[in-house]
Amino acid sequence: MNEELLRISEDLVKRASVEGFNESAALSISTRRTMLKVANSEPSVIQHWNSLSVIIYLAKDKRIIIMEFYPRDESEIYKSMADLLKVAAKIMESPLYAPLPEPIEVKPLDGLVDKEIVERLEEPSALAEVAIEAAHRENIDSMAGTIDLWYREKALSTSSGASLYEDSTGFQTYLRAFAEPSGSGQWSTCSTRLDLRSIEETALTAAKYAVESRYREKVEVGRYDVIMSPMVFGNLLELTMHMASAFNVLMGLSMFMNKKPGDKVASDKLRVFDEPRNTELPRATSFDDEGVPTYNKAVIDGGIFKTLLHNSKTASKMSATTTGNAGWISPAPWNITVNRGDYSLDEMISEVKRGILVTNNWYTRLQNYVEGVFSTVSRDAVFLIENGKISKSIEKIRIADRLPSILNNIEALGKNVYNIMWWEVTIPSKLPYILIKDVNVTKPTL
Amino acid sequence: MEDLVLYAVDYARSIGATYAEARYHRNSSRSIVSNNGLILGVGSGAVEGIGIRVVAGGALGFSATNRLERSSIKNAVDKAIAQARNTSRLMKYPIELAESKLGRAKYFVLEAKRFDSLSFEEKAGFHSDLWKAISRSICEAKANTLFIEYTESFEEKVVANSDGAFIESRVPRISLFYNLVITHPQKGSIQRWEMLGASGGLEWLDKWGLINKLEEDAKTYEKILLTAIEPPKNAVDLVIGSEIVGLMVHESCGHPSEADRILGREAAQAGKSFIKKGMVGERIGNENATVIDDPSIPGSYGFYLYDDEGVPAKPRYLYKEGVISEHLHNRWTARIYGVESNAAARSMDYKSEPIVRMANTYLKSGNYRFEELIEDIELGIYMKSYMEWNIDDERWSQRYVGLEAYLIERGEIKGFVRNPALEITTGGFYNNIDAVGREVKFYAGTCGKGEPPQGVPVWFGGPDVRLRNVRLGVSIT
Repeated sequence: MNEELLRISEDLVKRASVEGFNESAALSISTRRTMLKVANSEPSVIQHWNSLSVIIYLAKDKRIIIMEFYPRDESEIYKSMADLLKVAAKIMESPLYAPLPEPIEVKPLDGLVDKEIVERLEEPSALAEVAIEAAHRENIDSMAGTIDLWYREKALSTSSGASLYEDSTGFQTYLRAFAEPSGSGQWSTCSTRLDLRSIEETALTAAKYAVESRYREKVEVGRYDVIMSPMVFGNLLELTMHMASAFNVLMGLSMFMNKKPGDKVASDKLRVFDEPRNTELPRATSFDDEGVPTYNKAVIDGGIFKTLLHNSKTASKMSATTTGNAGWISPAPWNITVNRGDYSLDEMISEVKRGILVTNNWYTRLQNYVEGVFSTVSRDAVFLIENGKISKSIEKIRIADRLPSILNNIEALGKNVYNIMWWEVTIPSKLPYILIKDVNVTKPTL
Repeated sequence: MEDLVLYAVDYARSIGATYAEARYHRNSSRSIVSNNGLILGVGSGAVEGIGIRVVAGGALGFSATNRLERSSIKNAVDKAIAQARNTSRLMKYPIELAESKLGRAKYFVLEAKRFDSLSFEEKAGFHSDLWKAISRSICEAKANTLFIEYTESFEEKVVANSDGAFIESRVPRISLFYNLVITHPQKGSIQRWEMLGASGGLEWLDKWGLINKLEEDAKTYEKILLTAIEPPKNAVDLVIGSEIVGLMVHESCGHPSEADRILGREAAQAGKSFIKKGMVGERIGNENATVIDDPSIPGSYGFYLYDDEGVPAKPRYLYKEGVISEHLHNRWTARIYGVESNAAARSMDYKSEPIVRMANTYLKSGNYRFEELIEDIELGIYMKSYMEWNIDDERWSQRYVGLEAYLIERGEIKGFVRNPALEITTGGFYNNIDAVGREVKFYAGTCGKGEPPQGVPVWFGGPDVRLRNVRLGVSIT
């Protein structure tokens, strides 16, 4: 597939030149993916995809066009190109325009393909069996979840001379267990390499939290010290890292609009990285969509904001240097990691006089991105902590606060880190439990 | 595409599928993206392929391919059946579908004003005009950002299944999303997102009247930023604007009424429901609580006449005068419930399995004019629009934070209040609707559900409603 996929990209770039575009890039992605969904402790559906998608960047006299196709054949793309050339003549120069970067040598990443994942694409039911069996070792009533495996190839060609290919595998598993009355727990894992043990541990963690969270009691609203599990902080951190995309800063969708590198934005205990060259995490890649070599970088280091995430366009616009995070229009994080701290979870709990352990959340929404005003709702196990010990399982809560306050009030980080990826954490993340002081907790008044 | 779709169904049946369904699905779009009136770029694309769903060995298999030749379709069918059979040993209850009256029909929605009736320069100029309108309307604060994504799209489908359905359809849609940020050196910032969407063509640009609307809205947001006060701490009477009411019925009636959610199929993703199997007929609110989901509203963003299983669409009365009346069903959930499917199976694109979805969900209108809703309020809040919202995964505890929100004193609208938070249970809302406005308005959204996530176009709407004696939640001001 390597040569065929590259040929598709290269042909599209050549064609764009023939049509009259000054610059172009084509990214062809071939995907084989199998997802087995489980509900009520049995499969609900098994889904398989075999697809080819093509994304094309075109520039004509500094006008920008992006095409995205799941093409029936190339003729349709060629026809659209011709139509879009006429469109380009009618629009103004893009304020984002910058030339595609000249090729730089890309050092390939080893170890991105796991043959076992490729084989399991054909028959993943045994993985679901592992998950179902492990979860039911605890006294739960049912479990649900997803086993998701993929093999992906990408081929990039640019008119500035880049011609790059990479293939990789990945898997994510997230599982949720239910134990009556009203107990539930959820956990997840991900990697470039299949690991049956991690699926088993994910099931066991979800089931353990389900059993421990039965018999929920009410809790008062107010300010608490909150321990966020990696599932919860991973969700808030993904939002934070998207706000670190320079494009989102330019479009008014970021609390970093009024920040610059060197500003303090978080507790000095926090270090956050974008790690495209971490080959354990499934979005690892050696080059970005502009063909720029990727590199691992701190975005927040010791609480200090280090850099926005850039492609060559946002970098040009903001007098910076690309960070290898293209996206032709919007830069994005590849994989997110957080430094380890010194605490086991038990030690962290023992530090809390009056607090709450939140193991999972969803539906984070913002009133104002610029100011980071948000709320998010817990789901699954939530525990009250009193005098250094978990005292009881409590009903669902809502955290309503400001993201800058959350980041600045980090008090402790766990020493164990977890690979997280699921519905609400779509960028693979590796991070610990985190203790945050003085968090606003709310619930309905009627 | 008809021949490939029918081939997929016939071939699947010939090798042992007890049910087979194939859907050719093409979503094509063109968009113009701008920031502060300047065109950042133009987007164009097409997602096109065939999705195949089979039942084999009592298990459900789905596969999709965009390689549209017989050999690829055959491979996709083989894969769906083989993988379904492989998982069947883990099944406790085999997948079965309810008998349904299935359609054999073609329907096409037309643009009253075709997309090509305006030149590209005119559409690009529209972005610039919107930015100028906002910029000139603000005096003391500054319009910092106006990001706009304008999209014209077509959704074309050919659906066939082994029970005899054959539906061909074509629906054009128009949508516009914007993000507006207004800032002031001392007062901070205010932000407004809005999405407008409908099925049809450019006639909607005329109906929306966006230049006048955004010019007026921007003036209002500037006033809010400069003058809004903290909301009252004590209990107040609350008038909830139709925009928020629409979202509330979508979140706290539409979603919990999805029968697949009630049965636990989405438990690890979108969650479960406070509604349990067997609760049809139970009371959830007072007589003012009637919520309808209707795919067949002309011009609606969620419009369709047949669902992706070929079942003819009709209005669904989810809550009727305060009673849980009907759920949203596909043929699988209908079989378990012993009812007929009411045509809620929708898929986002060819790569997506059809699952139970809403279309256009709204609260039924009442008799009150707006003036009548507020005339006897001594101290109250009118929440007209929102930014932040969320609801728990069983659809019971919900929060909406007002953006354009007013103080009401002695029956009159006064100044603005900043970020009032309505944090309320589903039962608390539907049991306390005290009065209902006479005019239903609709709002557009992209509703998310499924894995991989599927965003489908919906409308949600309702009239303004009044609740008495509500203590607001904690605001982050």
